[in-house]
Amino acid sequence: MTALVLSAADELAGLHDEPAWLRAKRRQAFAVYERLPLPQRTEEEWRRTSLKGLDLDAFQAFEAAGASAPATPIADTAGVLRQSGSEPGKVEIDPELSRAGVLFVPLSQAAREYPELVQKHLFQEVRPDRDKLAALHAALFSGGTFLYVPDGVSIAKPFVSQFWSSTGGALVLPHTLIIAGRGSSFNHVDEFLSPDLERPSLTSGSAEIFAGEASNVGYVALQRWGNHAWQFADERARLEKDSTVRMVHAGLGARFSKNRVEASLNGPGARAELKALYFGTGQQFFDFHTLQQHVVGHSTSDLLFKGALREQAQSVYAGLIRIEVGASGSDAYQANRNLLLSNQAKANSIPMLEIMNNDVRCTHGATVGPVDPEHLFYLESRGIPPMVAQRMVVHGFFGQVLERIPVQQARELVEQELEDRIGF
Amino acid sequence: MAVAPRINVGDDYKEKYGFFDPENYVFKAKRGLSPEIIQEISWMKQEPEWMAKLRLRALDIFRKKPMPTWGADLSKIDFENIFYYLKSSEKQSTSWDDVPDDIKRTFDRLGVPQAERKFLAGVAAQYESEVVYHSLHKDLEKKGVLFLDTDSGLRDHPELFQEYFGTVIPAADNKFAALNTAAWSGGSFIYVPKGVKVDIPLQAYFRINAENMGQFERTLIICDEDSFVHYIEGCTAPIYTTDSLHSAVVEIIVKKGARCRYTTIQNWSTNVYNLVTKRALAYEGATMEWVDGNLGSAVTMKYPSVYLMEPGAKGDVLSIAFAGKGQHQDAGAKMVHAAPNTTSTITSKSISKAGGRTSYRGLVKVQPGSSHVKSFVKCDALLLDDQSISDTYPYIECDESEVTIGHEATVSKVSDEQLFYLMSRGISQVEAETMIVNGFIEPFTKELPLEYAVELNRLIQLEMEGSVG
Repeated sequence: MTALVLSAADELAGLHDEPAWLRAKRRQAFAVYERLPLPQRTEEEWRRTSLKGLDLDAFQAFEAAGASAPATPIADTAGVLRQSGSEPGKVEIDPELSRAGVLFVPLSQAAREYPELVQKHLFQEVRPDRDKLAALHAALFSGGTFLYVPDGVSIAKPFVSQFWSSTGGALVLPHTLIIAGRGSSFNHVDEFLSPDLERPSLTSGSAEIFAGEASNVGYVALQRWGNHAWQFADERARLEKDSTVRMVHAGLGARFSKNRVEASLNGPGARAELKALYFGTGQQFFDFHTLQQHVVGHSTSDLLFKGALREQAQSVYAGLIRIEVGASGSDAYQANRNLLLSNQAKANSIPMLEIMNNDVRCTHGATVGPVDPEHLFYLESRGIPPMVAQRMVVHGFFGQVLERIPVQQARELVEQELEDRIGF
Repeated sequence: MAVAPRINVGDDYKEKYGFFDPENYVFKAKRGLSPEIIQEISWMKQEPEWMAKLRLRALDIFRKKPMPTWGADLSKIDFENIFYYLKSSEKQSTSWDDVPDDIKRTFDRLGVPQAERKFLAGVAAQYESEVVYHSLHKDLEKKGVLFLDTDSGLRDHPELFQEYFGTVIPAADNKFAALNTAAWSGGSFIYVPKGVKVDIPLQAYFRINAENMGQFERTLIICDEDSFVHYIEGCTAPIYTTDSLHSAVVEIIVKKGARCRYTTIQNWSTNVYNLVTKRALAYEGATMEWVDGNLGSAVTMKYPSVYLMEPGAKGDVLSIAFAGKGQHQDAGAKMVHAAPNTTSTITSKSISKAGGRTSYRGLVKVQPGSSHVKSFVKCDALLLDDQSISDTYPYIECDESEVTIGHEATVSKVSDEQLFYLMSRGISQVEAETMIVNGFIEPFTKELPLEYAVELNRLIQLEMEGSVG
């Protein structure tokens, strides 16, 4: 097996039969990885996030295919990609869509067959130089999904990619690249999962979304890595004129999970919806850093992150709305709500605004608190037992995010998962 | 279309307020900072040895601490080009008649004591680094209230002083607290005995006059059980060409059942760096209120904080910030809930215009075991034109489940609809905009003593008038 050395990047590239330009890209990113130190707690972004116990030397560079997926991917789809560990993924797609010019293939294959499309976009929005872990992801990413929907193509059924890990002790770093043509419309679901494993592993699940003019893209990330996982991921969408992107992140798994969820609005009429829910139990730790960047005015962004924490679970939310100079007529909303279900749970919330233009509407809010006793009282006064009442309130708390999941099958899956966790 | 109103606070400063008197100092320390200068300050003041040692230790801490990399841009401060101590007259004046004429003139120009003496109990007017005028109302004296400049506090009440000095804000708290501890001079020392309610506000004026002179006031307020005091600090300064540094430390102890209100109107000229550490400890059932207005200075970094130490303590911060051309107001508040059943509210209003930048930076922290905490933060920002900037950085850190914390913020411009409504009733645009801005900061002005509220309203009115058309 291979440790985290430069030759690992080549080995991975070989495993996926990648073209020379992508190998070069991996090598470049690896150089950045070697140059940068681990993020320090003196850096503002990491002040509340401890990497104590993270030992990069303990990980193998990739994970061979192991057992079959712990769960079947959601049904009734336009296309499915399955990938185990670092092995190249396997794709099934509705042939009708292929004929319409839709490309839904493993990322490495796309790099080989459609270099002009991939090269221009890959790692342009998710930048390898942001920190050591982003560089590691770009250097040793274990394949992933490439989805291209041509201009004007509208697809009702969702695309689904399922990534799983079954041995632990290694890097599993899938990457998703989505390019939406003008006026196209579709949904994509990324599912990351593994059972709870003995050995720690380092996982990601980064996604780049390029939403072309007037396109309409739904993206759902279901993060259900086992409790052995350190997870670091960047999800970032770039929106052109009149496009709409709806991103929903469900943070359920991993012992340590750090996600940056970002949208940059680059055209008038662009609309980004960033929603997330997270439910921490045991020793789980969640860190979300979000960015709503209004580069061009007359654009809208709407962010809602809701989390519940039980036992000793902890969360950090830090979000920024940034209205650039000249982005007049921007409308931005940002809210983070935290439900603390135990005395030892801990939530940090930092909703930030940086506004460089006066003709805007920006509102944000954050709350941290227990289940509202008044809500409980109301339900109990109607004869509902306390435990049931509590479940109902917690369920209702997530309702606002659940209903924004653009893919019904994914919504049901998350609901089921929440149900299991709420059951005290 | 609405024309963005322009409020010219800071413009025309020299014409309006930028008077200054010829320098006339008994003692003038050399520029820069060294153990020798610190020792000299301490020797000049005839301080006890422990204070001299504390100053030197603080200087050491100051040297070791890095400059903060967050917040406003502080890179232009040159610590070696500042006077760390100036004493304007040898002897402490005891009555108004003894105050030197040129200093009186400055206060007259400010309209300070003549009009307000009647209303206010004592005036400790700080001119330069030293309190030169100081009077204490006889009633207060009888009640046992101490209202001194901090140097006299150290000299006359050494035990009380040593018990509390540096306990709320130790020198190692931050770089500028260390600097202040090393070089402090002047400020107010207040002690309110058990059960005494001071029903008229205590007030001190601070002035910077010598070019490149740092002011490092040190204020210490002790409110004993069930007492009440309202202290007012107000500033205005003549305009100068090179940057001045103002780095005060304010320590307040509010004991069981007591209430303290601290009101600041900060209107330094727009070349001053105003880097202030203000903190209060509130004990069982005590209430601490900061009312904080930031209008002047080039850069302000100030986050009044309340540590809620025992059950029932309450903290309150109400602040406005105004940033005009070249100004950055990085202000906020900090509430640390260290006990159960404590509550806090923060209300922040900010106005930016002509490229000015206002930042709200705040923290609400709930320590483990502090259940049934309630905290609410509200920040509103008004941007008067499209070059100005507004930021909001509210931090919430919560270690406890039985708490309710909320934060809300909005950023907007002067609403076209409101303008239209007022103008359709025959009110001129300037008047309408003035009304809207005054209405925006009204929650703040209504908490001020009458004469301050009138002054503030008048200031805004004046600035709005010259701005349009």
